[in-house]
Amino acid sequence: MSGNPVASPVTAKQFKSEIKPVWCPGCGDFSVLSAVTKALAYLALPQQNVALVSGIGCSSRLPAYVSVYGFHGVHGRALAVASGLKAARPDLTVLVAGGDGDGFSIGGNHFLHACRRNMNLTYIVMDNEVYGMTKGQASPTTSPDWAKSMLTPHGPGVPSFNPAAIALASGATFIARGFTGKPNDLAKLIVDAIQHPGFSFIQALSPCTTYRPEQNEWKKIVRPFDADVTADPIEAAQRIQADDGLSTGLIYQTRLPVWQPPNSISAEIEQLERGFQI
Amino acid sequence: MNQAHPAVIDNLPEFLLHAITLERESVDRYEELAESMAVHNNPGMAELFHKLAHFGRLHASEIEQHAAALVLPDIAPWNFKWSTPEGPESGTRDGVHYLMDQREALEHALYNETQGRDFYASVASSSPDEEVRELAAQFSREESEHVAILESWLTRLDPQNTRRLEDLDPPNSPD
Repeated sequence: MSGNPVASPVTAKQFKSEIKPVWCPGCGDFSVLSAVTKALAYLALPQQNVALVSGIGCSSRLPAYVSVYGFHGVHGRALAVASGLKAARPDLTVLVAGGDGDGFSIGGNHFLHACRRNMNLTYIVMDNEVYGMTKGQASPTTSPDWAKSMLTPHGPGVPSFNPAAIALASGATFIARGFTGKPNDLAKLIVDAIQHPGFSFIQALSPCTTYRPEQNEWKKIVRPFDADVTADPIEAAQRIQADDGLSTGLIYQTRLPVWQPPNSISAEIEQLERGFQI
Repeated sequence: MNQAHPAVIDNLPEFLLHAITLERESVDRYEELAESMAVHNNPGMAELFHKLAHFGRLHASEIEQHAAALVLPDIAPWNFKWSTPEGPESGTRDGVHYLMDQREALEHALYNETQGRDFYASVASSSPDEEVRELAAQFSREESEHVAILESWLTRLDPQNTRRLEDLDPPNSPD
Protein backbone atom coordinates (compact mmCIF):
# COMPACT_ATOMS: atom_id res chain seq x y z
CA MET A 1 0.00 0.00 0.00
CA SER A 2 0.48 2.57 -0.16
CA GLY A 3 0.14 4.93 2.37
CA ASN A 4 -2.09 6.71 -0.02
CA PRO A 5 -5.62 6.13 1.20
CA VAL A 6 -7.20 7.91 -1.75
CA ALA A 7 -5.56 6.34 -4.75
CA SER A 8 -4.11 3.16 -3.31
CA PRO A 9 -5.35 -0.08 -4.82
CA VAL A 10 -4.63 -1.99 -1.60
CA THR A 11 -5.48 -0.84 1.90
CA ALA A 12 -5.01 -2.37 5.32
CA LYS A 13 -8.78 -2.42 5.74
CA GLN A 14 -9.09 -4.82 2.80
CA PHE A 15 -7.05 -7.32 4.80
CA LYS A 16 -9.46 -7.18 7.73
CA SER A 17 -12.23 -9.74 7.70
CA GLU A 18 -15.86 -9.10 8.57
CA ILE A 19 -15.51 -11.03 11.82
CA LYS A 20 -15.39 -8.77 14.85
CA PRO A 21 -12.63 -9.46 17.37
CA VAL A 22 -13.71 -10.70 20.78
CA TRP A 23 -10.52 -9.49 22.45
CA CYS A 24 -11.00 -7.31 25.53
CA PRO A 25 -11.08 -3.60 24.69
CA GLY A 26 -7.56 -2.34 25.29
CA CYS A 27 -5.90 -5.66 24.38
CA GLY A 28 -2.56 -5.30 22.64
CA ASP A 29 -3.55 -7.93 20.11
CA PHE A 30 -5.70 -5.33 18.30
CA SER A 31 -2.46 -3.56 17.44
CA VAL A 32 -0.95 -6.74 16.05
CA LEU A 33 -4.00 -7.12 13.82
CA SER A 34 -3.49 -3.53 12.69
CA ALA A 35 0.24 -4.07 12.11
CA VAL A 36 -0.26 -7.31 10.17
CA THR A 37 -2.87 -5.80 7.88
CA LYS A 38 -0.77 -2.68 7.29
CA ALA A 39 2.24 -4.85 6.46
CA LEU A 40 0.28 -7.02 4.03
CA ALA A 41 -1.19 -3.95 2.37
CA TYR A 42 2.21 -2.29 2.11
CA LEU A 43 3.60 -5.40 0.41
CA ALA A 44 0.46 -5.57 -1.75
CA LEU A 45 0.41 -9.33 -1.42
CA PRO A 46 -2.49 -11.03 -3.18
CA GLN A 47 -4.82 -12.27 -0.45
CA GLN A 48 -5.05 -15.73 -2.00
CA ASN A 49 -1.26 -16.09 -1.76
CA VAL A 50 -1.06 -15.58 1.99
CA ALA A 51 -1.84 -18.04 4.77
CA LEU A 52 -1.99 -17.28 8.47
CA VAL A 53 -1.70 -20.25 10.83
CA SER A 54 -2.22 -20.13 14.59
CA GLY A 55 -2.49 -22.33 17.65
CA ILE A 56 -4.78 -21.77 20.63
CA GLY A 57 -5.24 -18.77 22.87
CA CYS A 58 -6.54 -15.21 22.68
CA SER A 59 -3.88 -14.17 20.17
CA SER A 60 -4.41 -17.30 18.10
CA ARG A 61 -7.79 -15.92 17.05
CA LEU A 62 -5.90 -13.68 14.65
CA PRO A 63 -6.53 -15.73 11.46
CA ALA A 64 -10.28 -15.18 11.83
CA TYR A 65 -9.80 -11.45 11.67
CA VAL A 66 -7.46 -11.28 8.67
CA SER A 67 -8.80 -11.73 5.19
CA VAL A 68 -6.29 -14.29 3.92
CA TYR A 69 -6.32 -18.08 4.11
CA GLY A 70 -6.34 -19.04 7.77
CA PHE A 71 -5.88 -22.12 9.89
CA HIS A 72 -6.75 -22.03 13.59
CA GLY A 73 -5.02 -25.18 14.68
CA VAL A 74 -4.39 -27.11 17.85
CA HIS A 75 -2.52 -25.89 20.90
CA GLY A 76 1.18 -25.38 20.31
CA ARG A 77 1.19 -26.90 16.84
CA ALA A 78 0.94 -23.79 14.69
CA LEU A 79 4.55 -24.05 13.54
CA ALA A 80 4.15 -27.72 12.68
CA VAL A 81 1.07 -27.02 10.57
CA ALA A 82 2.72 -23.99 8.96
CA SER A 83 5.86 -25.98 8.16
CA GLY A 84 3.78 -28.62 6.44
CA LEU A 85 1.91 -26.00 4.48
CA LYS A 86 5.11 -24.26 3.40
CA ALA A 87 6.65 -27.59 2.42
CA ALA A 88 3.68 -28.33 0.18
CA ARG A 89 3.09 -24.79 -1.08
CA PRO A 90 6.39 -22.88 -1.14
CA ASP A 91 4.73 -20.23 -3.29
CA LEU A 92 2.59 -19.03 -0.37
CA THR A 93 3.61 -16.37 2.12
CA VAL A 94 3.05 -18.20 5.39
CA LEU A 95 2.61 -16.27 8.61
CA VAL A 96 2.31 -17.97 11.97
CA ALA A 97 0.81 -16.34 15.06
CA GLY A 98 0.16 -17.23 18.66
CA GLY A 99 0.87 -16.40 22.25
CA ASP A 100 3.68 -17.03 24.68
CA GLY A 101 2.02 -20.06 26.25
CA ASP A 102 1.13 -21.61 22.92
CA GLY A 103 4.53 -20.92 21.39
CA PHE A 104 7.00 -21.42 24.21
CA SER A 105 5.34 -24.00 26.44
CA ILE A 106 2.97 -26.30 24.59
CA GLY A 107 4.72 -25.55 21.31
CA GLY A 108 8.21 -25.03 22.71
CA ASN A 109 9.72 -27.99 20.93
CA HIS A 110 8.33 -26.88 17.59
CA PHE A 111 9.74 -23.41 18.20
CA LEU A 112 13.28 -24.73 18.69
CA HIS A 113 13.22 -26.80 15.53
CA ALA A 114 11.48 -24.19 13.42
CA CYS A 115 14.31 -21.82 14.32
CA ARG A 116 17.04 -24.23 13.26
CA ARG A 117 15.18 -25.59 10.23
CA ASN A 118 15.03 -22.09 8.73
CA MET A 119 11.99 -22.54 6.53
CA ASN A 120 10.68 -19.36 4.98
CA LEU A 121 8.07 -18.59 7.65
CA THR A 122 7.29 -15.53 9.74
CA TYR A 123 6.36 -16.28 13.34
CA ILE A 124 4.73 -13.53 15.43
CA VAL A 125 4.35 -14.28 19.11
CA MET A 126 2.06 -11.95 21.03
CA ASP A 127 3.73 -12.04 24.41
CA ASN A 128 1.66 -10.88 27.37
CA GLU A 129 3.37 -13.12 29.92
CA VAL A 130 0.13 -14.83 30.87
CA TYR A 131 -2.44 -17.39 29.76
CA GLY A 132 -5.32 -15.01 29.15
CA MET A 133 -7.93 -17.27 27.59
CA THR A 134 -7.89 -19.61 30.58
CA LYS A 135 -8.20 -16.65 32.96
CA GLY A 136 -4.74 -15.64 33.97
CA GLN A 137 -2.20 -18.34 34.77
CA ALA A 138 1.58 -17.94 34.62
CA SER A 139 3.15 -18.68 31.26
CA PRO A 140 6.77 -19.44 30.33
CA THR A 141 7.58 -15.73 30.04
CA THR A 142 5.96 -14.76 33.37
CA SER A 143 8.46 -13.40 35.87
CA PRO A 144 9.17 -15.72 38.81
CA ASP A 145 7.64 -13.38 41.37
CA TRP A 146 4.29 -12.65 39.66
CA ALA A 147 1.90 -13.73 42.40
CA LYS A 148 -1.49 -12.65 41.04
CA SER A 149 -2.68 -16.10 40.03
CA MET A 150 -4.20 -18.39 42.62
CA LEU A 151 -2.48 -21.29 40.89
CA THR A 152 0.90 -19.77 41.74
CA PRO A 153 0.16 -17.62 44.80
CA HIS A 154 3.85 -17.11 45.51
CA GLY A 155 4.78 -16.65 41.86
CA PRO A 156 5.89 -19.36 39.43
CA GLY A 157 9.28 -19.32 41.13
CA VAL A 158 11.23 -20.35 38.06
CA PRO A 159 13.20 -18.13 35.71
CA SER A 160 11.23 -16.82 32.80
CA PHE A 161 11.89 -17.98 29.27
CA ASN A 162 13.92 -15.54 27.15
CA PRO A 163 12.43 -15.96 23.66
CA ALA A 164 15.07 -13.98 21.77
CA ALA A 165 17.92 -15.85 23.47
CA ILE A 166 16.32 -19.23 22.79
CA ALA A 167 15.66 -18.27 19.17
CA LEU A 168 19.29 -17.25 18.72
CA ALA A 169 20.62 -20.38 20.37
CA SER A 170 18.33 -22.48 18.19
CA GLY A 171 19.60 -20.97 14.97
CA ALA A 172 16.95 -18.43 13.99
CA THR A 173 18.16 -16.10 11.25
CA PHE A 174 15.86 -13.14 11.99
CA ILE A 175 15.04 -12.10 15.55
CA ALA A 176 13.10 -8.97 16.41
CA ARG A 177 11.08 -7.56 19.25
CA GLY A 178 8.20 -5.14 18.74
CA PHE A 179 5.66 -3.44 20.96
CA THR A 180 1.96 -3.12 20.34
CA GLY A 181 2.05 0.42 21.72
CA LYS A 182 3.87 1.29 18.49
CA PRO A 183 1.90 -0.58 15.84
CA ASN A 184 3.43 1.24 12.89
CA ASP A 185 6.93 0.27 13.98
CA LEU A 186 5.63 -3.28 14.46
CA ALA A 187 4.24 -3.21 10.91
CA LYS A 188 7.72 -2.30 9.63
CA LEU A 189 9.23 -5.26 11.52
CA ILE A 190 6.60 -7.56 10.00
CA VAL A 191 7.40 -6.29 6.50
CA ASP A 192 11.11 -6.89 7.10
CA ALA A 193 10.34 -10.34 8.51
CA ILE A 194 8.22 -11.37 5.53
CA GLN A 195 10.93 -10.18 3.16
CA HIS A 196 13.62 -12.08 5.04
CA PRO A 197 14.53 -15.35 3.34
CA GLY A 198 14.23 -17.95 6.09
CA PHE A 199 12.61 -18.22 9.49
CA SER A 200 11.80 -14.84 10.98
CA PHE A 201 10.74 -14.49 14.59
CA ILE A 202 9.05 -11.44 16.11
CA GLN A 203 8.28 -11.25 19.81
CA ALA A 204 5.50 -8.67 20.03
CA LEU A 205 5.12 -7.31 23.55
CA SER A 206 1.33 -7.19 23.82
CA PRO A 207 -0.17 -6.06 27.15
CA CYS A 208 -3.03 -8.08 28.62
CA THR A 209 -5.28 -5.35 29.93
CA THR A 210 -7.41 -7.79 31.93
CA TYR A 211 -4.99 -10.08 33.75
CA ARG A 212 -1.82 -8.00 33.57
CA PRO A 213 -3.07 -4.38 33.73
CA GLU A 214 0.30 -3.34 35.09
CA GLN A 215 1.65 -3.98 31.58
CA ASN A 216 -0.07 -0.77 30.50
CA GLU A 217 3.00 0.86 32.04
CA TRP A 218 5.19 -0.74 29.36
CA LYS A 219 4.57 2.25 27.14
CA LYS A 220 6.62 4.33 29.55
CA ILE A 221 9.63 2.04 29.60
CA VAL A 222 9.74 0.25 26.25
CA ARG A 223 12.41 1.85 24.04
CA PRO A 224 14.37 1.01 20.92
CA PHE A 225 17.61 -0.94 21.18
CA ASP A 226 20.44 1.54 21.22
CA ALA A 227 22.35 -0.36 18.53
CA ASP A 228 21.57 -1.39 14.97
CA VAL A 229 20.84 -4.94 13.90
CA THR A 230 23.83 -7.27 13.96
CA ALA A 231 24.72 -10.38 12.00
CA ASP A 232 27.16 -11.45 14.69
CA PRO A 233 25.54 -14.05 16.96
CA ILE A 234 27.96 -13.34 19.81
CA GLU A 235 27.14 -9.66 19.75
CA ALA A 236 23.44 -10.47 19.50
CA ALA A 237 23.68 -12.84 22.47
CA GLN A 238 25.38 -10.20 24.57
CA ARG A 239 22.80 -7.62 23.60
CA ILE A 240 19.88 -9.90 24.41
CA GLN A 241 21.31 -11.02 27.73
CA ALA A 242 22.18 -7.49 28.80
CA ASP A 243 18.65 -6.29 28.07
CA ASP A 244 15.64 -6.38 30.39
CA GLY A 245 13.38 -7.68 27.62
CA LEU A 246 11.79 -4.32 26.92
CA SER A 247 14.07 -3.01 24.16
CA THR A 248 12.60 -3.22 20.70
CA GLY A 249 13.80 -3.44 17.13
CA LEU A 250 15.48 -5.88 14.79
CA ILE A 251 18.12 -7.55 16.94
CA TYR A 252 19.77 -10.14 14.73
CA GLN A 253 19.64 -11.02 11.05
CA THR A 254 21.83 -13.32 9.01
CA ARG A 255 21.58 -15.37 5.84
CA LEU A 256 21.68 -19.14 5.96
CA PRO A 257 20.35 -21.71 3.51
CA VAL A 258 16.57 -21.88 3.61
CA TRP A 259 15.23 -25.37 4.13
CA GLN A 260 12.60 -26.31 1.61
CA PRO A 261 11.95 -29.94 0.71
CA PRO A 262 11.46 -30.81 -2.94
CA ASN A 263 7.75 -30.84 -3.56
CA SER A 264 7.66 -32.83 -6.73
CA ILE A 265 4.84 -35.34 -6.82
CA SER A 266 6.17 -38.69 -5.61
CA ALA A 267 2.92 -40.60 -5.76
CA GLU A 268 -0.57 -40.25 -7.14
CA ILE A 269 -3.45 -39.76 -4.72
CA GLU A 270 -4.79 -43.23 -5.55
CA GLN A 271 -1.46 -44.79 -4.62
CA LEU A 272 -1.43 -42.95 -1.30
CA GLU A 273 -5.01 -43.98 -0.56
CA ARG A 274 -4.14 -47.61 -1.18
CA GLY A 275 -1.46 -47.32 1.51
CA PHE A 276 -4.14 -46.44 4.07
CA GLN A 277 -6.59 -49.17 3.16
CA ILE A 278 -7.27 -51.64 5.93
CA MET B 1 8.78 7.20 12.57
CA ASN B 2 7.71 8.83 15.77
CA GLN B 3 9.72 11.64 17.14
CA ALA B 4 9.48 14.12 19.93
CA HIS B 5 9.17 16.98 17.45
CA PRO B 6 7.31 16.11 14.25
CA ALA B 7 9.27 16.54 11.06
CA VAL B 8 8.25 19.41 8.85
CA ILE B 9 5.56 18.77 6.24
CA ASP B 10 6.71 20.40 3.05
CA ASN B 11 3.86 20.44 0.57
CA LEU B 12 0.10 20.22 0.17
CA PRO B 13 -0.22 16.62 -1.09
CA GLU B 14 1.92 15.38 1.79
CA PHE B 15 -0.13 17.38 4.27
CA LEU B 16 -3.48 16.21 2.92
CA LEU B 17 -2.34 12.60 2.98
CA HIS B 18 -1.48 13.06 6.65
CA ALA B 19 -4.84 14.71 7.35
CA ILE B 20 -6.86 12.05 5.54
CA THR B 21 -4.95 9.24 7.20
CA LEU B 22 -5.39 10.88 10.59
CA GLU B 23 -9.15 11.05 10.14
CA ARG B 24 -9.57 7.60 8.59
CA GLU B 25 -7.49 5.87 11.23
CA SER B 26 -9.49 7.67 13.88
CA VAL B 27 -12.76 6.47 12.32
CA ASP B 28 -11.44 2.91 12.12
CA ARG B 29 -10.39 3.04 15.77
CA TYR B 30 -13.79 4.33 16.93
CA GLU B 31 -15.52 1.61 14.92
CA GLU B 32 -13.18 -0.96 16.45
CA LEU B 33 -14.01 0.33 19.92
CA ALA B 34 -17.73 0.37 19.17
CA GLU B 35 -17.70 -3.22 17.97
CA SER B 36 -15.58 -4.24 20.91
CA MET B 37 -17.98 -2.61 23.37
CA ALA B 38 -20.91 -4.32 21.68
CA VAL B 39 -19.18 -7.69 21.98
CA HIS B 40 -18.59 -7.02 25.68
CA ASN B 41 -22.17 -5.99 26.36
CA ASN B 42 -21.64 -2.29 26.83
CA PRO B 43 -24.20 -1.07 24.27
CA GLY B 44 -24.22 2.53 25.51
CA MET B 45 -20.55 2.98 24.76
CA ALA B 46 -20.90 1.05 21.50
CA GLU B 47 -23.46 3.62 20.38
CA LEU B 48 -21.30 6.53 21.51
CA PHE B 49 -18.23 5.26 19.66
CA HIS B 50 -20.29 4.62 16.51
CA LYS B 51 -21.46 8.24 16.77
CA LEU B 52 -17.89 9.50 17.12
CA ALA B 53 -16.92 7.42 14.08
CA HIS B 54 -19.76 9.04 12.15
CA PHE B 55 -18.50 12.54 12.98
CA GLY B 56 -15.01 11.47 11.99
CA ARG B 57 -16.28 10.22 8.63
CA LEU B 58 -17.92 13.56 7.95
CA HIS B 59 -14.69 15.38 8.71
CA ALA B 60 -12.67 12.93 6.61
CA SER B 61 -14.90 13.47 3.59
CA GLU B 62 -14.52 17.25 3.91
CA ILE B 63 -10.75 16.90 3.91
CA GLU B 64 -10.85 14.47 1.00
CA GLN B 65 -12.53 17.14 -1.09
CA HIS B 66 -9.41 19.29 -0.74
CA ALA B 67 -7.41 16.40 -2.22
CA ALA B 68 -9.78 15.58 -5.04
CA ALA B 69 -7.64 17.10 -7.78
CA LEU B 70 -4.28 16.09 -6.34
CA VAL B 71 -2.07 13.05 -6.64
CA LEU B 72 -1.12 12.11 -3.12
CA PRO B 73 2.24 10.56 -2.33
CA ASP B 74 2.82 7.01 -1.12
CA ILE B 75 4.06 6.98 2.45
CA ALA B 76 4.61 3.79 4.41
CA PRO B 77 2.71 3.70 7.73
CA TRP B 78 5.94 3.98 9.73
CA ASN B 79 7.14 7.00 7.76
CA PHE B 80 4.29 9.35 8.62
CA LYS B 81 5.44 12.43 10.47
CA TRP B 82 3.42 11.90 13.61
CA SER B 83 4.70 12.76 17.05
CA THR B 84 2.40 10.04 18.37
CA PRO B 85 2.72 6.25 17.88
CA GLU B 86 -0.13 6.30 15.34
CA GLY B 87 -2.29 9.05 13.89
CA PRO B 88 -2.86 11.75 16.54
CA GLU B 89 -6.60 11.02 16.80
CA SER B 90 -6.26 7.26 17.12
CA GLY B 91 -5.70 7.47 20.86
CA THR B 92 -4.07 4.73 22.83
CA ARG B 93 -5.64 1.34 23.30
CA ASP B 94 -4.66 1.11 26.94
CA GLY B 95 -7.05 3.92 27.83
CA VAL B 96 -10.14 1.83 27.26
CA HIS B 97 -11.94 -0.77 29.31
CA TYR B 98 -14.98 -2.91 28.61
CA LEU B 99 -16.81 -1.39 31.58
CA MET B 100 -15.97 2.20 30.71
CA ASP B 101 -18.65 4.83 31.18
CA GLN B 102 -19.70 7.87 29.19
CA ARG B 103 -17.31 10.19 30.97
CA GLU B 104 -14.33 7.95 30.28
CA ALA B 105 -15.34 7.55 26.65
CA LEU B 106 -15.75 11.29 26.15
CA GLU B 107 -12.45 11.98 27.89
CA HIS B 108 -10.88 9.48 25.49
CA ALA B 109 -12.40 11.35 22.55
CA LEU B 110 -11.33 14.70 24.02
CA TYR B 111 -7.75 13.46 24.27
CA ASN B 112 -7.87 12.43 20.61
CA GLU B 113 -9.29 15.73 19.41
CA THR B 114 -6.73 17.64 21.46
CA GLN B 115 -3.94 15.62 19.89
CA GLY B 116 -5.39 16.33 16.43
CA ARG B 117 -5.65 20.05 17.15
CA ASP B 118 -2.06 20.15 18.35
CA PHE B 119 -0.83 18.25 15.30
CA TYR B 120 -2.45 20.71 12.91
CA ALA B 121 -1.24 23.67 14.97
CA SER B 122 2.28 22.30 14.81
CA VAL B 123 2.09 21.98 11.02
CA ALA B 124 0.61 25.47 10.77
CA SER B 125 3.61 26.89 12.57
CA SER B 126 6.35 24.85 10.93
CA SER B 127 5.58 24.17 7.26
CA PRO B 128 7.54 26.22 4.71
CA ASP B 129 4.50 26.11 2.38
CA GLU B 130 2.04 28.95 2.87
CA GLU B 131 -0.95 27.01 1.54
CA VAL B 132 -0.19 24.17 3.96
CA ARG B 133 0.15 26.58 6.85
CA GLU B 134 -3.23 28.19 6.09
CA LEU B 135 -5.06 24.90 5.67
CA ALA B 136 -3.44 23.42 8.77
CA ALA B 137 -4.48 26.47 10.77
CA GLN B 138 -8.05 26.03 9.48
CA PHE B 139 -8.06 22.34 10.45
CA SER B 140 -6.64 23.22 13.84
CA ARG B 141 -9.49 25.67 14.40
CA GLU B 142 -11.99 22.99 13.43
CA GLU B 143 -10.41 20.56 15.87
CA SER B 144 -10.57 23.28 18.53
CA GLU B 145 -14.31 23.45 17.92
CA HIS B 146 -14.54 19.68 18.41
CA VAL B 147 -12.56 20.03 21.63
CA ALA B 148 -14.98 22.70 22.85
CA ILE B 149 -18.01 20.57 21.98
CA LEU B 150 -16.63 17.58 23.85
CA GLU B 151 -15.75 19.73 26.85
CA SER B 152 -19.29 21.06 26.95
CA TRP B 153 -20.72 17.54 26.70
CA LEU B 154 -18.52 16.53 29.60
CA THR B 155 -19.78 19.37 31.78
CA ARG B 156 -23.41 18.49 30.99
CA LEU B 157 -23.11 14.80 31.74
CA ASP B 158 -25.82 13.27 33.86
CA PRO B 159 -24.09 11.69 36.87
CA GLN B 160 -26.40 8.70 36.39
CA ASN B 161 -24.59 7.99 33.12
CA THR B 162 -21.13 8.23 34.55
CA ARG B 163 -21.08 5.18 36.71
CA ARG B 164 -19.04 2.28 35.50
CA LEU B 165 -21.07 -0.77 34.66
CA GLU B 166 -21.00 -3.55 37.18
CA ASP B 167 -19.75 -6.96 36.16
CA LEU B 168 -21.05 -9.57 38.56
CA ASP B 169 -18.69 -12.15 37.11
CA PRO B 170 -15.49 -10.21 36.53
CA PRO B 171 -12.74 -11.95 34.63
CA ASN B 172 -10.21 -11.57 37.42
CA SER B 173 -12.09 -13.56 40.04
CA PRO B 174 -12.05 -17.17 38.81
CA ASP B 175 -9.02 -19.36 39.00
